[in-house]
Amino acid sequence: MLFSYNWLEEFVDDLGDVRELADRLTITGTEIEGVEDLSGGISGIVTAEVLTVEPHPNADKLSLCDVKTAETELKIVCGAKNMRPGDKVVLAVHGARLPGGFKIKRSKIRGVESNGMMCSEVELGIAKESAGIMILPQDTPVGLDALDVLGLKDFVLDAGITPNRPDLLSMRGLAREVATVTGKTLTFKAASVEESGANIDELITVSIDDNTPCARYSVRVIEGVRVGPTPDYIVRRLETNGLRSVNNVVDITNYVLLELGQPLHAFDLDRIKGAKIVVRNANAGETIKTIDNVERNLAESICVIADESSPVAVAGVMGGKSSEVGEATTRVLLESAYFEPTSVRRASKKLSLSSDSSYRFERGVDIETVTVALDRAAALILEIAGGGAAKGRVDIYPEKFEAKPILFRPVRAESLLGIPVDPKEVGLTFTSLGMRVTGKKESGNTVLEVVPPSYRRDILIEEDLLEEAARLFGYDNIPTTLPVAGIMPGGVSPMLGIKKRITELLSGAGLAETLNYTFVSKDEFAVTGSEGAPAIEIMNPLSEELSVMRRSLMPSLLECLRRNIQVNNTDVALFEVAPVFTSNAGAQEQECEDPTDRLPTQQWKVAGVLYGARHALTWNQPKEAVDFYDIKGIVERVLKGVGVKAPMRLGPVGESDARFFHPGKSASMKLGASSAGLFGEVHPDIQSRYGLSKPAYVFELDIETLSDLSTGKRKYRPLARYPGSARDVAIIVDSTVPYADILSLIDKIDTKLIDNVDLFDVYCGSEIPEGKRSVALRINYRSLEGTLKQAEVESVHSKIQGELTSRFGAEIRGQGS
Amino acid sequence: MRERLEELLKDARAEIEKSGVKDSLLTVKSKYLGRKGALQGFFKDLGSLAADERKRAGELINTVKNSLESEIETRLSAIHAAEMARRLKTEKLDVTLPGRSRPLGSIHPVTQTLYEVEEIFTSLGFGIAEGPEVEVDYYNFEALNIPRDHPARDMQDTFYINKEVLLRTHTSPVQIRVMEEQPPPLRIIAPGTVYRRDSDVTHTPMFHQVEGFMVDTNITFSNLKGVLTHFLHSLFGENIEVRFRPSFFPFTEPSAEVDIRCVICKGKSSACRVCKGSGWLEVLGSGMIHPEVFRSVKYDPEKVSGFAFGIGIERIAMLKYGIDDIRLFFENDVRFLAQY
Repeated sequence: MLFSYNWLEEFVDDLGDVRELADRLTITGTEIEGVEDLSGGISGIVTAEVLTVEPHPNADKLSLCDVKTAETELKIVCGAKNMRPGDKVVLAVHGARLPGGFKIKRSKIRGVESNGMMCSEVELGIAKESAGIMILPQDTPVGLDALDVLGLKDFVLDAGITPNRPDLLSMRGLAREVATVTGKTLTFKAASVEESGANIDELITVSIDDNTPCARYSVRVIEGVRVGPTPDYIVRRLETNGLRSVNNVVDITNYVLLELGQPLHAFDLDRIKGAKIVVRNANAGETIKTIDNVERNLAESICVIADESSPVAVAGVMGGKSSEVGEATTRVLLESAYFEPTSVRRASKKLSLSSDSSYRFERGVDIETVTVALDRAAALILEIAGGGAAKGRVDIYPEKFEAKPILFRPVRAESLLGIPVDPKEVGLTFTSLGMRVTGKKESGNTVLEVVPPSYRRDILIEEDLLEEAARLFGYDNIPTTLPVAGIMPGGVSPMLGIKKRITELLSGAGLAETLNYTFVSKDEFAVTGSEGAPAIEIMNPLSEELSVMRRSLMPSLLECLRRNIQVNNTDVALFEVAPVFTSNAGAQEQECEDPTDRLPTQQWKVAGVLYGARHALTWNQPKEAVDFYDIKGIVERVLKGVGVKAPMRLGPVGESDARFFHPGKSASMKLGASSAGLFGEVHPDIQSRYGLSKPAYVFELDIETLSDLSTGKRKYRPLARYPGSARDVAIIVDSTVPYADILSLIDKIDTKLIDNVDLFDVYCGSEIPEGKRSVALRINYRSLEGTLKQAEVESVHSKIQGELTSRFGAEIRGQGS
Repeated sequence: MRERLEELLKDARAEIEKSGVKDSLLTVKSKYLGRKGALQGFFKDLGSLAADERKRAGELINTVKNSLESEIETRLSAIHAAEMARRLKTEKLDVTLPGRSRPLGSIHPVTQTLYEVEEIFTSLGFGIAEGPEVEVDYYNFEALNIPRDHPARDMQDTFYINKEVLLRTHTSPVQIRVMEEQPPPLRIIAPGTVYRRDSDVTHTPMFHQVEGFMVDTNITFSNLKGVLTHFLHSLFGENIEVRFRPSFFPFTEPSAEVDIRCVICKGKSSACRVCKGSGWLEVLGSGMIHPEVFRSVKYDPEKVSGFAFGIGIERIAMLKYGIDDIRLFFENDVRFLAQY
């Protein structure tokens, strides 16, 4: 909420330096988010009267005016045309400063000396546009400081009022806080209403139904008012807080709302049928057209103010169009009430309608201010709009509010704050906050019984008092100490550890980590997975683009890729570690005992994408495009890096994934018996969906599976002491024979002597028959027991060659043909 | 014999001098000092001399031998040095050409900041806990003393899946989940992704938070100040000024917002855009755990006390790296990512 410094000063004398005040408020818990100097650096502007307006002798578009200030008459050259002799204007004299540091100097304009400038609203920085110069009201005295006249000699404090402090949502409220935290005196005098005419009971009857959330309802009647424009100072103060001027009566209700924090409503009494007000809950099917011209359906849970026949206002939220005060109104029914916060909040949510009134009611207004505000507004109406107030006021207040006393134990406060708490001093602090304090002894210690004032309904328990004591004592005055605590086992869970390890492995492999929104568009959701599977939808998304929880990270990475290509980042390697969500559909239907059973399944995944060249363009490496084996290499690196020992088995991707992956250039991966992920080239359709000119390669792995399979332990294997021996074999086999089959065949032959197998060439092309390929392997033989004998190696090697021939029909190259 | 030896020495020296390369010098060496070399002949002749003369002659031959050996060695290293110098002179690279690049990946600045925060707290003995991002209303709000129909709900605009299920607006639900499972003493941080229905230059609908809490029989507000001051000093440097100021969170009481001195203007510019001239930057929220929160996990607030805090990681990362638009974190432009 915005607070005018001048307005606050009506309640507290001598507020002092505005920035010091802002700091003091901030450090005691009322955060001042900004201070605006309304003068905007303007100085040297005065009110003046235009005496004559003549054409400029040397310029058609300019005028030459005689302008009178307090002391002298000045010649002013002016470009505007809207001033007439006798108009009151704002004159910036020689030496004046306008917003933006603009300085006014005496100067010759087209050969005629001009001694200043008559200002427009735009030039003064108080409007976005203006037609010509600003013309002041005719009765404005000449020679005054125009900053005062325009209300610009003021500061506006922007305070972030937290939901627990509705008592600060008014000038008097903040002034009260200012008085407490600065030790200054609050001055407030309740208004008195000069009554005349009929008794109010003859003009209106009021009743409150049972089971309504209305704890107090009061009205006054003022007859013979003249609805019309509102004095400038009120309009300005309303505008500062974003309220538009309507007419004097309505503006006064809003003015008192800002001043005292009590929402008020003015009805046109002549339009209240039966001269009867009933506070009741809405009937089924009832509607109301509110003053914002919207016809609204009322639910039975909503409390309304009704006349004899129908609702005339939604209690605490907004008045009705039919009874609003307009130009023709002469008899005003002024309402001030207290409605329970929860009911106003529910009504406001249900109607999707909030107002300055509902904002305050739902946080809680001061029930003891209800009639104070009513009288203040009535007095202002009499002063500004005339008329006479009926004798007396209706004030239905069945149960006077009594705050419950709260026990405050200084000893407990000490143990929670970590500082000594003196009962006497803390008692004074509470008193300064308007609380009633009584001290007594309880098992040898002084305890305080504290009754908070009616405007502090947030003070309910001992801890609330503790906070008040601490904030006024000053958080800065509480020492900083490190706690004394025992050693506890704990640390990092395996899942956290593996996520970090994977992140390091992938960044080490040249991929950049990304963070993407967990919610995607429905289209993007549909890119992966089975068609028609239920999506987890957000009821109130920011946009359709961010409306369902993703079930795969891969589309997000392709989207990142697309955006990067748009800005000419052509070679891209990205990854992400994040959870995906799948609907726990069965549980959603049932009535679950434990609500957490209804939560979707959350699975942590890691996914990556490679696109473009393997290296940036450079002088000493060929510019090669990434391919399938780059993405597979990344996957293998991750598995190795996290210590997965289970054998990798690859099969074709499932039917639903074949929409996303190129079926011939992708694989679904099992580690042991567990499905662990997918990788490969994206489907050409997906490639074009994301506007990619080249194939993209992606993977996605399930981290929990990796975590389960990660052995963690690494066991030492003795290093071979004896020299090994290597033999090469090149075979020509059908291209359909998977390399994995060749490898596993060799592995099975003699595990003792074969140390490992290196694949060093795969070739098809000239010299190789169609449908076949040449596979060249280096088999490294080694024994842990002794130096290999030539004959041993030859025997195994020829066995390998034999098996390859018999199992796969392989032709051994360099032998035979 | 002496004359002949002197003759030999003279010849040998001339030949050593003449030898410009290693090979020819080695030939010279073998000619004079080898097994069949000239000096060997002199040794053979020794046998024919009388005993006393033999001794003298032997010494003389040895002197010549030693002298030749050392001169050849010296010459050899000179030749080696010259050859090496010549070779090294020809073998010259343009060291200003760029090195053979290995692709350099990166860890997202938000993740790096998370790691840093985690490390500071684990070094104080805090454990790390995680919880689901899609959460039930109870854990996200009600157990944290934010009942339905309470205006405090407006402080965190929420994405809902249905009436009961929502995207967590903070990682504080983990606090409840942990306390439900374990008795005090506890000191835990809960890092993670959170969601609020908000989007502009300083807000993204998804961001990261570390919530932390400590519960024991003797925890004070003064301890809260101690731990968080230590944390901010570790993160921003020992000299950063820290300020605690009263605020409101439904799940803590007393509550405090924690500010650091503006890292940009150091509190010296009223026109500073980062701190809006206030000289301070809000970096975290904290407070003593509210008794209602303890009651909801069946802890006795008369017996235990504790503090809790929440840190917005993007905010910290923005300050640390001088990033002025939070949306950059989620655009994933490789030119941005490659800077980290």
